[in-house]
Amino acid sequence: MNETRREFLGGSLIAGAAVGVGLLADKLVQRSARLEKPGPLTPALTPQGKLIQVATTDAGVAHQHPMPPHAGTALGREEARQGVPGRKWVMVIDLAKCSGCKNCTIACGKMHGTPVDREWIRVFRMQDARHTAPYWFPKPCFHCDNPPCTKVCPVGATYKRQDGIVLIDNERCIGCRFCMAACPYSTRYFNWGRPDNSLAVNAAYSPETGVPRRVGTVEKCDFCPEMAREGILPACVTSCDMAAVYFGDQNEDAVTNADKETVSFSQLLEERAGYRYLAELGTEPRVYYLPPKNRDFPKPSSPHKHKPESPSSPEAHSSHAHAGMSK
Amino acid sequence: MNIALTQDNDAAQVDHDRLQANIVARLRSSLAPASPREWLWIGSLVFMIAAGLAAYAWQCIHGLKVTGMREYISWGVYMTNFVFFIGVSHAGTLISAILRVTGAEWRRSITRMAEAITVFALMVGAPMVIIDMGRPDRILNVLIHGRLNSPILWDVFSICTYISGSLLYLYVAMIPDLALLAPRGAVWERRTGWQRVCGWLSLGYRGSPEQRRLLEKALATMAVIIIPVAISVHTVVSWIFGMTLRPGWHSTVFGPYFVIGAIFSGTAAIITAMAIFRKVYHLESLLTERQFQNLGRLMLALNLLYIYFTLAEYLTTWYGALEADQRLVELLMGHGTYGRMFWLWAAFCLFLPALIVMLPLKRNLIPRLVVASILINIGMWIKRYLIIVPTLMTTYIPPESAGVNPSYLPTWVEWTVTLGGLATFLLLFTLFAKVFPIISIWETVEGVAEVGAKNIGVDIERPTLPPPRSHPHLHRLLPKPVVAAILIAFCLTIGSAVFAASAPPKLESPAPCPEILVSSIKGEDGPLLTATVRLSQQPIPDAQVEFLVQRAFGRVSLGTIATGKDGTAAVQFPNGLPGDPGGELRIIAELKSPPAYTTCWGEAVVKGALPTPAKAEPFPRALWSPHAPFGLVLTIFVLLSIVWSTYSYVIVQLIKIRKAADS
Ligand code: SF4
Ligand code: SF4
Repeated sequence: MNETRREFLGGSLIAGAAVGVGLLADKLVQRSARLEKPGPLTPALTPQGKLIQVATTDAGVAHQHPMPPHAGTALGREEARQGVPGRKWVMVIDLAKCSGCKNCTIACGKMHGTPVDREWIRVFRMQDARHTAPYWFPKPCFHCDNPPCTKVCPVGATYKRQDGIVLIDNERCIGCRFCMAACPYSTRYFNWGRPDNSLAVNAAYSPETGVPRRVGTVEKCDFCPEMAREGILPACVTSCDMAAVYFGDQNEDAVTNADKETVSFSQLLEERAGYRYLAELGTEPRVYYLPPKNRDFPKPSSPHKHKPESPSSPEAHSSHAHAGMSK
Repeated sequence: MNIALTQDNDAAQVDHDRLQANIVARLRSSLAPASPREWLWIGSLVFMIAAGLAAYAWQCIHGLKVTGMREYISWGVYMTNFVFFIGVSHAGTLISAILRVTGAEWRRSITRMAEAITVFALMVGAPMVIIDMGRPDRILNVLIHGRLNSPILWDVFSICTYISGSLLYLYVAMIPDLALLAPRGAVWERRTGWQRVCGWLSLGYRGSPEQRRLLEKALATMAVIIIPVAISVHTVVSWIFGMTLRPGWHSTVFGPYFVIGAIFSGTAAIITAMAIFRKVYHLESLLTERQFQNLGRLMLALNLLYIYFTLAEYLTTWYGALEADQRLVELLMGHGTYGRMFWLWAAFCLFLPALIVMLPLKRNLIPRLVVASILINIGMWIKRYLIIVPTLMTTYIPPESAGVNPSYLPTWVEWTVTLGGLATFLLLFTLFAKVFPIISIWETVEGVAEVGAKNIGVDIERPTLPPPRSHPHLHRLLPKPVVAAILIAFCLTIGSAVFAASAPPKLESPAPCPEILVSSIKGEDGPLLTATVRLSQQPIPDAQVEFLVQRAFGRVSLGTIATGKDGTAAVQFPNGLPGDPGGELRIIAELKSPPAYTTCWGEAVVKGALPTPAKAEPFPRALWSPHAPFGLVLTIFVLLSIVWSTYSYVIVQLIKIRKAADS
C-alpha cells in the first residue's frame, strides 16, 4: 500500500463513563470520526491485530503492481506453516454474477507474476447438461479441508495451515508432481523450465507469495495469505467488476466482495443455496459456489442451439464433453 | 561294510565331479572372454547409455521443459518406464521363489536368470522416478522430511526392501557356484583377481553337510519371504494411481490387476531372455523344450487371468458410466490415438499370445513362445502408458471448456533416456552372464543326481560344443560403468532493491462531527446495542444510525435505525454473533442522516459475542495432516519389521556358513 491513513477524531472515553446500569462493555474504546470522501475508509487489521484505516481505492490500486507488493511482509518458510491464528479463510463465488470477463485471472496473473500459461484462477465455460444453460465458472484452488494433494506429498512440501490455506514450500518440493496427479480439480501448475524471476529479484523466498519461483517445483493459487493477514482482499476478489467473488473468515462468519459488501457467510449460503463443486469427492473444499440463478449478465452462447458442424472445434467439444457424452 | 560305504561315497563324489564338469563345460561359451561380436554388442549398449545420460544431463540443465510433459499431462514416458520395469522385475524372483517353494524340478536351470532379471529391472526401473523428478537434487528430502502418509514413501520402502531382498536371494542361491568358480583352473585359467572376489563372496563354502544345511535353510527362508515382498511392491506401485481420485485410477482392483500384469510381463521377459541366451551361448541342452513348455503354460494361465482382470476393470467402468469415466472410456476405446493404442495392446497382450500359445501345433514351440513374449512386452509398455496419459487427460473439468487443449508427445529427450534405460538393463544382464554362470550349476547338478536329468528337463547326454576361440585379456578391458555426476547449477539473479518510500499522508482538517457513543446494554428482550449522538452535549434526534460489525475485510450491517429524543438509537444485539477469542466485538455506528454528518461514525469494543478460538485446534492424526494416522504407521512398521527381521535371520545363516568354513 502506498498510503496508510490514520485519522481519528474525537476523544477516547475510558471504561465506566458509559450510560446504563446493565452495561455490558467493560473495555469501551470510544471513537468517532469523519470518513474521507469520496470512498469510505476501510478498517483493516494489521498482523499485530491493530486496526488501521485503509482507503478502499488504494487497496484496489495496490493489486495492479506486477509483483506482490507485500513480499516484505510475507513470512519465512517455517513461520508460513502456521497460518494466521484463529482464522479460517473461505471464499464464495457467485455464479449468478460472473460474466466470464476473466478480470480475476488477469489481476491474479499480474499480482503473482505468473506466466500466461498458468491461470491460478481459471474461468471455465460450464454446461452441466445438453439442454441446460451454460454459465461461467471461475476456479481457484479450493484449499480443501481434506486435500488429496496434501495427503500424497512425500516430503510435506505442500501443507495445510490452520487458517485453512494450502501452501507449497518451493524450497522443499522435490518436483514429483504427485500432488498434480492427485488434485481432482487440476489446480496445480509446474515450473517445467527455468522461471523468469526478473520482477522479483530482491524478494526473499516465502511460501506465502511463491516468489521467486523455483525450477522443477509446483505452484498454485494461494489465497494471497500475506495480504489476508493484513486485512487486504485477494486480487481476484477486488478485481471483479461484478463483485462476484467474496472472501472472508469463516470464524467471523463474514465474507466481503469487491464492492466492500460484507455479508454473513452462513446467511449467504443459506439464502442462495450455496454448494461446493464436486463435494462428493470428499475433499471438503473451502470455496463455495452460489448457483447461477437470475443471472446478472447475458448467458454465454450455447453451441447446442445449432449442432456443431465440425466436432473438432474446441468449444463444441468441451461442452459436449461436459454434457457427459450424451450422444 | 565300512569299506563299501567309503567306496560308495567315492563313487558318488566322482559322479558328482563328472556331472559338474559336464555342466560347466556347457556354460563355457557364456563364461569365456567376450568375442568381437559381444564387444560390438557391449559397445553399442554403452553408446546408448551414454546417449541416455547426455539426454538426462540436458534435461537437468534446462529443466523438464525439454520433455513433452506439460500442464494437465504431468506424467509421461518416465512413469511408464518405471511401472513397466518394476513389472518386469516381478518375473524373476516371484517365479523362481514359487517354483522353489513348490519344488518344481524343472526350475533348476532357469532360476538364476529369473532372479537376475529382477535385480536388473529394479536397478533400471527405480531410478526412472528420480529421472522424472523436477528436483533430483533434493532427493534427500524424502529421507529428511518423509511423510508416511504418501504412497511415494511406501514405494520407497517397498522397493528398497525388494531390491535388497532380491539381491540377497540371488546371492544366497549363488554361493555354491561362487565357491566353484573360485579355485584357479576350475572355470577360468587366468582370471585370478576375479577368482579372488568369487572366493571371498563364497564365504568359504565347501559343501560340508553343516554348510549345506545352513544354505538350504537360508534359501528356503528367502524364497518364502520374497513372495509377499514382490507382491507388495507392485501393489504399492499401483497405489500411486489407486490412491488418487482420478477416473481410471481410483480402482480397488488396481493392486491385483497390476500384480497379475507384472507377473505376466515378467514371464514373457524370462522366456525372451531364455531364448536369447539359449541361442547365443548354445545352452540348448540346459534350456530345453521342457522349460519353455512349462513357462508357456504358466504364461497362458496368466494371460487368461489378465483377460479376466481387464474385463473386471473396464466392464465396471463402462457399465457404471460415471461422467468422467465415460469420457475416459471414450478416449481409450474410441477412434483417436489412444483408442488405436488400446486395441493394439488388447491384441498384443490379451488375444494374440493366448492364440499363439494355444495353437495345437507341436512344432516350433520355442519360436512361437518368443513371438508371444515379445508382443506381450511391447503391449505391456503400451498398457502402462495408457494407464497414465489418458487418465491425466480426463479431468473432471474438461480443460477444453477454458480453451486449453492439453496434448502429450514424448520428445527425443524422453525417448533417448528410455532407450538408455533399456540399454542399461541389457548391459547389466550381458555382463552378469559373462562373469557369473547364468545357469545355476549346483542346483542343476543336484537335480540330475537326485531325480535324474530327464526330470529336471536338461539333456546332459547331448555333446558339448567345442570350446570357442579364446580372446585372452580382453575381459580386462571391460569398460567400467559410465558414471556421470551431473550437478544442476542454479543461478539466481540478484539485483538491487528499489523500495518506493511512501510519504506520510497529510491530515486534512474535517468539519466538526457529532460525538457518537456506542455501548451495549441489557434490554427487555436480551442485550441491545445503542448509539448516542450528541453535538456539543446536545442530543440529535431523528438521525439515522447504521450499526455495523467490524470483520476482517469489511463491516456487516446489523440494521439502520433513527435516534430518539435523547439522541439514542438501539438495535438488538444478535445472539451467537462470533467475536474475538475474548468474546469481544468491534461495533461501529455510522450516521446515515442528517446529510451534514453522513460520514461520521463512532465505535466501541463490546462484550457479549461468541468467543472464537484464539488458535485453531492442533492438527488431528489424518492423512492430510503432518501426523500420520496411527494405524497406518503401525501397519507399515509391523510389515517392514517382519520382512527385515527375516532378512537378518538369513544373514545370520550366512555368517554361520562362513564360521563353519573356518572350523
Ligand atoms: S483444489 Fe486441488 S490443489 Fe487445491 S487444496 Fe484441493 S486438492 Fe489441493
Ligand atoms: S511435486 Fe512437490 S509439492 Fe507436489 S507432491 Fe511432489 S514434493 Fe510435494
